[in-house]
Amino acid sequence: MILTLHLVALALYTLATALTLAPFVGLRAPPRVLTIALPCAGAALHVVAVSQLTLVGLAPALSMLALCLVLLQLASERLVRGSAVGFFTGPVAAGLVGLALLIGLAPGAEPSAGRNAWFILHVALSVMGLALLALAFIAAALYLLQFRELKARRFGRVFQLFPPLERLDQLNRVALVAGFPALTLGVLLALGYAVRFAGGLHVGKAQIVWGLFTWAVVGWAVWVRLVRRWDGRRAAFASIAGFSAVLLVYLALKLVQPGAERFL
Amino acid sequence: MNDATAMGIQVLGVNHRTAPLEVRERFAHGAHEVPGALARVIAAGAAGGVLLSTCNRTEFYLVAEEEGVAEAVWDLLGERLERGAAVREYGYIARDRDAVRHLYRVSSGLDSMILGESQIQGQVREAWEASRAQAGPVLHRLFQTALHVGARIRTETALGTGTASAASAAVAVAGKIFGDLAGRAALILGAGDMAELAATCLAAEGVQVTLVANRTHERARAIAERLGARALTLDEAWPHFATTDIALCSTAAPHAVVTWERVGAVIRGRRGRPLCILDLAVPRDVDPAVAQLENVFLYDIDDLQTVAAQATARRHEAVAAAERIVQEETDLFWAWYGGLGVVPVIKEFRGRMEALRAAELERALRHLTQLSPEDRARVEQLSHALMNKFLHQPTVALKAAAEEGRGYGLLDALKRLFGL
Repeated sequence: MILTLHLVALALYTLATALTLAPFVGLRAPPRVLTIALPCAGAALHVVAVSQLTLVGLAPALSMLALCLVLLQLASERLVRGSAVGFFTGPVAAGLVGLALLIGLAPGAEPSAGRNAWFILHVALSVMGLALLALAFIAAALYLLQFRELKARRFGRVFQLFPPLERLDQLNRVALVAGFPALTLGVLLALGYAVRFAGGLHVGKAQIVWGLFTWAVVGWAVWVRLVRRWDGRRAAFASIAGFSAVLLVYLALKLVQPGAERFL
Repeated sequence: MNDATAMGIQVLGVNHRTAPLEVRERFAHGAHEVPGALARVIAAGAAGGVLLSTCNRTEFYLVAEEEGVAEAVWDLLGERLERGAAVREYGYIARDRDAVRHLYRVSSGLDSMILGESQIQGQVREAWEASRAQAGPVLHRLFQTALHVGARIRTETALGTGTASAASAAVAVAGKIFGDLAGRAALILGAGDMAELAATCLAAEGVQVTLVANRTHERARAIAERLGARALTLDEAWPHFATTDIALCSTAAPHAVVTWERVGAVIRGRRGRPLCILDLAVPRDVDPAVAQLENVFLYDIDDLQTVAAQATARRHEAVAAAERIVQEETDLFWAWYGGLGVVPVIKEFRGRMEALRAAELERALRHLTQLSPEDRARVEQLSHALMNKFLHQPTVALKAAAEEGRGYGLLDALKRLFGL
């Protein structure tokens, strides 16, 4: 059931991505309702599938990250009134679901109610925080591409299909500002979970290092935006640098401790 | 035959296909420069001329000898280029029927950067009116029909459907920077029709036109009142580049007025907030160096027309029908123009023949004194009938050839054969 739901979600995400990218290869743009309905349907099935996972291990984390990205893509559609975010989130989400399927997804044992609620909230908020950082990165990348085209006075597909600069800047700010409390709560819940269920906590050093590093990076990105009043291109570069650092540190730590049993 | 028909119609010029904006802006002629330019070309041998100068083209429509005045036109335009640059590499010539077709295509928007744009109709009319004293009868008729062709194509085809103009493109470009334009502040430099049109388009999107600056304060105040803005002189406008979101420039200045020296320091004080500068003027109002400033987005008329042209997809479907109308109207004009030369020649030819007939009849009747008055009348009638029979076929052939636009060869032969 989990596999089937993931496969159908993957197919819907892939189809939605293909439709979203169609105008870039000179094909007619699909009706907007279709580019929203397909990922919506995929996300609905995906939610059902994720609800049956224990959220322990790399594959469930990747699946949940993909789900969060699709949900954020749909939210961005409403916020920036453009499907350009889907150019990035679509392929990434489809890729993450595919990777999760390759690693192997299986239903987990049911934890106790208390542990379950703490743990699910910790994972959901942390993954959502990470997805928001990824969304900030995507908005920043779109911003820099559109900025370059507008500066160079090129009026091709990027100019036509990407959202306006200020909306992308706004999306970047909103993603970071929402991502920081989500990650903070995720970290606090992890600490609470460790205290309350000390006997059952087995957190590796790598997980702590990466979690705190990610939290610090997002905190820094929010600080430069809100306190130092960075915006536009400088803020976009900061977001890209932050997300890249988080990704590189994760990959480095994962290389040191390979294996799919744990997220890190 | 009059001079105009003995010469021929020519168009010489440059347009957006043959020359970039930085060259075209040098050839742009203000209304006050038109009579002087045409006087020079007419002094070089043209029988009449109209100068059409828009942001997309500078074209001399002339009635002139084949090669006679072309040099004068190239010299006149060449004086506006830097030393070493050759105007001919940007220029083109079309003659006779091709020149007529060219003007019809121009006036209908088929030759415009934004396919089917309607502003060119007004510009053709203004050019005709500005050159009225120097145009001559053939060009009067040509421009009159060109306006008719433009109107007919807009009525009978879909060439003018949809919104596609530099002003609408200005809104689209600003929208790609700011997203929602409501509440954005705009500063207008210049008080011409183009500035007002674009400002009105921006205001319709919720942009607050707060300032209108112009060389003459009176004109600025007139537009400012209509837009609910404050009027300034140009020198008072520079500090406002620190606060405005959109600067719309469309002055009639012959050189850049928004320069690095005037606004560079002011714009650097914006702390990275984007500034969209829309330069609708030809010659350009804004020094291209200003675009190097961080977060300044500068667009000139060619950029805006490129954006506007993207909105004309539906208009392309109407091109074939519009071209058919152009062809039909070109044939009609050419028939009229050909007939214009043939009628006086036929008249002269028939007059000469009539004189010969009368002289020969009189000579013959002097020797035929025995004829009764009735017989004399019959002989005279015979001479008339013979002459009409002899002249009928050449007259019909000449008129037919003229209507088909190939009467010149026959006319020339007739003049040589009969010493007309």
